[in-house]
Amino acid sequence: MSTASLITTWKVRDVVPVPDQFPTSLRVLVVDDDPTCLIFLEKMLRNCSYDVTKCNRAETALLKLRENRNGFDIVISDVHMPDMDGFKLLEHIGLEMDLPVIMMSADDGKDVVMKGVTHGACDYLIKPVRIEALKNIWQHVVRKRKNEWKDLEQSGSVEEGDRQPKQSEDADYSSS
Amino acid sequence: MDVVNQLQRQFIDYSASLHREGFLDDQFTQLQKLQDDNSPDFVVEVASLFFEDCEKLINNMARALEQQQGVDFKQVDASVHQLKGSSSSIGAMRVKDVCIAFRSFCEAQNREGCLRCLQQVTHEYSLLKNKLQTLFRLQQQILAAGGSIPVVE
Repeated sequence: MSTASLITTWKVRDVVPVPDQFPTSLRVLVVDDDPTCLIFLEKMLRNCSYDVTKCNRAETALLKLRENRNGFDIVISDVHMPDMDGFKLLEHIGLEMDLPVIMMSADDGKDVVMKGVTHGACDYLIKPVRIEALKNIWQHVVRKRKNEWKDLEQSGSVEEGDRQPKQSEDADYSSS
Repeated sequence: MDVVNQLQRQFIDYSASLHREGFLDDQFTQLQKLQDDNSPDFVVEVASLFFEDCEKLINNMARALEQQQGVDFKQVDASVHQLKGSSSSIGAMRVKDVCIAFRSFCEAQNREGCLRCLQQVTHEYSLLKNKLQTLFRLQQQILAAGGSIPVVE
């Protein structure tokens, strides 16, 4: 009971490390079966100062993610791949690792983009991808973490309803 | 006129003509901008990869279209889709445009149309390969003469 009440007194911004400047070394896993696109993406991401791992197969990507659960911050994946459809990969990642996933495709048809949205992609980029689109992918990582903390906060807020609105932090700490 | 200046002028004019004639689009310029001291041969590397991939895909398409028993248009389309993707990422505009038409013929299951597109895509790919090799040769000459490659917007 005391842990939950401690959480409700913290503000989200105190806990989530929101960067003041452009965050470097974001660990990105990029998946695309097209070798030209893959090398292009890798270079652009490196130029954004991100830490890049590239994969040309969805199965390999999943293996890497499973082997190193906390090794990546975000995944960027093509939709059309020979061994596993990008949406299937997206589903697996959502269930197993819950990392933000950005889908990409040369296909800009509304139904494909919708499929991305309904399968849980946090963004959908149309190829050819420009470096400008990649510069800001860190926002998806921060947003996801912020939402996770908000969920934690809200699940603890059942306690808050019983409490007086204005309570000093000292009182909460001492009430364990 | 200084040798380096002359070569640079040639390079700029040749680049401009490639863009004007539709062989390359702005995406190629993006590719050139990515080249830096960390990867000084980046453009040549990507182009080589692209040509390798192109050849492989064209062969796949030719094989699939040769099948007398029945053409697997889905298979052809998959290769064309990939070629469209890689050609657009390198800025190979004319190759990409043929791929767009090619896909429509695949969808319509039109073997004749597909074969015509295959011929066209092979032709455009060869043309582009020659043009880029000329461009890269010019680049090498500039560097050998002690100059730097001008950025063409």
